[in-house]
Amino acid sequence: MRIPILKLHDYLLISVQVELDDQTALQFQEDLLNKIHQEGSSGVVIDLTSVEMIDSFIAKVLGDVVEMSNLMGAKVVLTGIQPAVAITLIDMGIMLDEVPTALDLEQGLDKLQQELEG
Amino acid sequence: MQPSIIEMIYSQRQEIIDRWKEEIQHFSDNEFSRSLPSEMYNETNVEFVHLIIDTLELEQSEAKEKLRQFVERFIHTGWPLSFFTQGMQAFRRVLLETMTSQETINSKKVFETFYEVESWIDGIINQLVDEYSGSWENTLHLQKLALKELSAPLIPVFEKISVMPLIGTIDTERAKLIMENLLEGIIEHRSQVVLIDITGVPVVDTMVAHHIIQASEAVRLVGAECILVGIRPEIAQTIVNLGIDLGKFPTRSTLRKGIETGLELTQRKIVKISSDEFR
Repeated sequence: MRIPILKLHDYLLISVQVELDDQTALQFQEDLLNKIHQEGSSGVVIDLTSVEMIDSFIAKVLGDVVEMSNLMGAKVVLTGIQPAVAITLIDMGIMLDEVPTALDLEQGLDKLQQELEG
Repeated sequence: MQPSIIEMIYSQRQEIIDRWKEEIQHFSDNEFSRSLPSEMYNETNVEFVHLIIDTLELEQSEAKEKLRQFVERFIHTGWPLSFFTQGMQAFRRVLLETMTSQETINSKKVFETFYEVESWIDGIINQLVDEYSGSWENTLHLQKLALKELSAPLIPVFEKISVMPLIGTIDTERAKLIMENLLEGIIEHRSQVVLIDITGVPVVDTMVAHHIIQASEAVRLVGAECILVGIRPEIAQTIVNLGIDLGKFPTRSTLRKGIETGLELTQRKIVKISSDEFR
């Protein structure tokens, strides 16, 4: 199972529409980094609206992806994290401190724009 | 229960009742009984003692039902539980005294008789306590429900800005509700900034602070920002004295300032229009 990565001008858009398992998440990490390298993108939005559960491993992978992308010069914003997911993450003590978040795709793109300009 | 005991109780019914009335005079002098007219108090006493004796010959389930109805009436009018428990204890004392003072019981049977009387009386006491605690639990449950409804509303005040005013103490259960309402509300109203107003929270200790910090972290995860407003001077002092670190998210002293900050964060501001423009 691979997660499609869409290119929109300077940005990459990812809408995660499957339940993430460990393998998919690692595959996604690799694909995304390759894509950033290939396209030279400056921003990434990962939309998690359809994800109903995130375990600690997936959370760690997501955190890593963000950090790795930043190293490669692409800002990442996570969008559409569901209330239930947020509560689970906080309960597990996973704060995703360094990761910018936004309510939905639209606001995520705005946020990227701001960050890249600012 | 043995027929002989029942017979004995019946034969001395009046004496037992009289002695019991005398006995309960000792503890009748409390706040509650003084607030009642003495006739009503006495009437209740009589009704109570007759009911106790009547339970002897009734079927167990029937006796239970009768007792339940009796007690329910008094729960609603606010009779204290101690009135009934003390009454029962007095009744037991009187009964055993009466029985032993007469030489009707074979001394070998004393233990057996005591045992039967005890279990009879204890059964009634247990039921009384159960009825009372059941009614208390019920009240508590209703109050909890009412509190829950009032506990955590999220109010959209401007586009992209919502306010959650908190009033009263925050415990773990309420904190969970606050977090859920907050996050659901953010999605529903598409808020970018939420103001949590703690003007009405009397005490902010480490636990309350912890809950608020968790809520604001969760708010950040769903993609909004949280501003804590309504921090009174004494709250600020406690927070610092307890060494709670609220540095990670913005705080403001009043709701008004919080709203200004919220508007700033969403690139807006309130401006005064001149009176010419207004016309």
